[in-house]
Amino acid sequence: MKKLKMTRNMRRNLYGLLFLSPFFIGFIMFFLIPIIRTVFYSFQSVSVGANGGMEFTASGFKNYVNLFKSEVTTDSKTLTELFANQNMNMLTSVPLITVFSLFMALLANRQFRGRAFVRMIFFLPIILGLPLVTDMLAMTTGSELTETGGGLFSESFVSVLLLNYTGIPLRVLTPIMGYVDNIFDLISHAGVQTLIYLTALQSISPSLYEVARIEGATAYETFWKVTIPSIMHIILFVVVYTIVELFLESQIAEEVYSFAFEQNKIGIGSALSVVYILNVLFVLIVVVLILGKVARRYE
Amino acid sequence: MSNSYQIKQKIKEIVTSVFLILLIAGLCFSILYPLLKLVPTIFSRIEDLGNPNVIWLPQKFSITSFKAAARFVMPAGILTLVKTVLYAALIMLIQVFFSAMVGYAMARVKFVFSKIAYFLVVLVFLVPRQSLLLAQYIFFKHFDFLGIMNVFTSRGEVDLIDNPVTLVLLAVFGFGVNQSLFIFLFAQFFRNIPKELEEAAGIDGCGFIRTYFRIMIPNAIPIISTVSILAFVWNYADIYYTNYFYSDAGLMSTLLSKTFVGANKTYVLNAVQTWFGIPAVNDFAFDAVKQAGVLIYLIPLLIVYLIGQRKLVQNMENSGLVG
Repeated sequence: MKKLKMTRNMRRNLYGLLFLSPFFIGFIMFFLIPIIRTVFYSFQSVSVGANGGMEFTASGFKNYVNLFKSEVTTDSKTLTELFANQNMNMLTSVPLITVFSLFMALLANRQFRGRAFVRMIFFLPIILGLPLVTDMLAMTTGSELTETGGGLFSESFVSVLLLNYTGIPLRVLTPIMGYVDNIFDLISHAGVQTLIYLTALQSISPSLYEVARIEGATAYETFWKVTIPSIMHIILFVVVYTIVELFLESQIAEEVYSFAFEQNKIGIGSALSVVYILNVLFVLIVVVLILGKVARRYE
Repeated sequence: MSNSYQIKQKIKEIVTSVFLILLIAGLCFSILYPLLKLVPTIFSRIEDLGNPNVIWLPQKFSITSFKAAARFVMPAGILTLVKTVLYAALIMLIQVFFSAMVGYAMARVKFVFSKIAYFLVVLVFLVPRQSLLLAQYIFFKHFDFLGIMNVFTSRGEVDLIDNPVTLVLLAVFGFGVNQSLFIFLFAQFFRNIPKELEEAAGIDGCGFIRTYFRIMIPNAIPIISTVSILAFVWNYADIYYTNYFYSDAGLMSTLLSKTFVGANKTYVLNAVQTWFGIPAVNDFAFDAVKQAGVLIYLIPLLIVYLIGQRKLVQNMENSGLVG
């Protein structure tokens, strides 16, 4: 009996390994080898050899030094600026997206007539927020028609009223309007996050809300004491997803392509890739450590 | 006394619902705004573009922008569209098939390899995939994995760039667009399927593979359709993989992203001018044609979305991600 059970387990493991094998092979071919090579290239100066192949000569940290000292991006900014901007952008964008997509999911979760239609529009950003689509929908001309340029809020009637009929100086108004514009922009990028939140909200047991109601909790208390603790781990997932997504859409990826293929600097492009990876992982580790602590206190 | 309380409650209710309706309407508007904004531009005559008096309604209705855009993004006519849709659908099918397999083994076979796989899938998801594309490009350019290519060619390597095989290979081995996320979603789903289901199948004499295909897959329809929708959308819109590995495939996504870059503006404007015999075109025509191109490109996506989105929420509930 024991022998039979063992062989059955072993057969099961063997099949399991068979199912996993595509991923393991892929991991070696498309992840491990590329990542090792990227690190390797980043320490080499790469040139084209006599027979068309690539030739490598070790150059130590030269690529990294050049990357931050002499190289510039396609819009002629320094790489230090590029990374600083990207990380500063994360600081505002990630909290905004996390909070606003939760807010939209809470709205979509309410009972009202026409809910199906509203949901259809709320998830449209899954398509309209695709990087290719947002790039192509952006206007390249016409911003001279509006003074502050682009943006839903700054083009709106309200902002015209604010600009022309209130005494608030332009110096104060412009950054505020830019900020509000940014929010509208972010909402339309948060389709997947809203979807994840909505499903999380729907999986909270109704009996929890019933208990809260019987105990006489206000809507405000219910939100902080029932809803938030129940979806805490999902908030963490959304934060991680958003960080990964924002880094993927960032300009850094395009710069790698430009260095490697338009300027033929494979070493520099690889060095940039390595810094890019380290940057993402560092941000993720910090965020997960901090949020993990907060989440544990809540649960 | 109770009457005034009731009135108060009623007023409170009405105020809240009016506030909510306004809020929801505002959000819907801000989401749809990028599409609404296109209407006056793309339906205008190219000659009328740039007229500051036109904000919401075109002066004279015309579809010239669409005709021009179609010539840019669909050089082979409707065939380009069909090809792009088929490409996304093919990669989607491969991704779903192999992601489900890996996800199932990760979740249901308890041994050391499934734990390793779990760790690696999360790692792959976290590392930005675009940072590895350059090394992957060189890998495919001189493809000689483990020396097996010696069997096929005398050079000992093959050039797999601009070869559709590359994109298929990536999807088969779990490294297509966002595929680590798909594997993760499948694993989370299979984790929550009751063990009794598998055991019953085992008692009935079903082996591992039969249990998987006969019992597990039919139970996984919700997650399969969710992942399918996302995979279709993301592959249809992908420009990174296609630009690196198969840039002259003539897919709409690559054509769109390559034609309408700022550096190409004069070329596009000149082409529009000669095609339609328009005496003078300004920069606004570039935007109009570009945006008409996006709209053509979006049609299949919107159709898939409209069919699939109702299921999407329903399905995600059972996806196990939130469990």
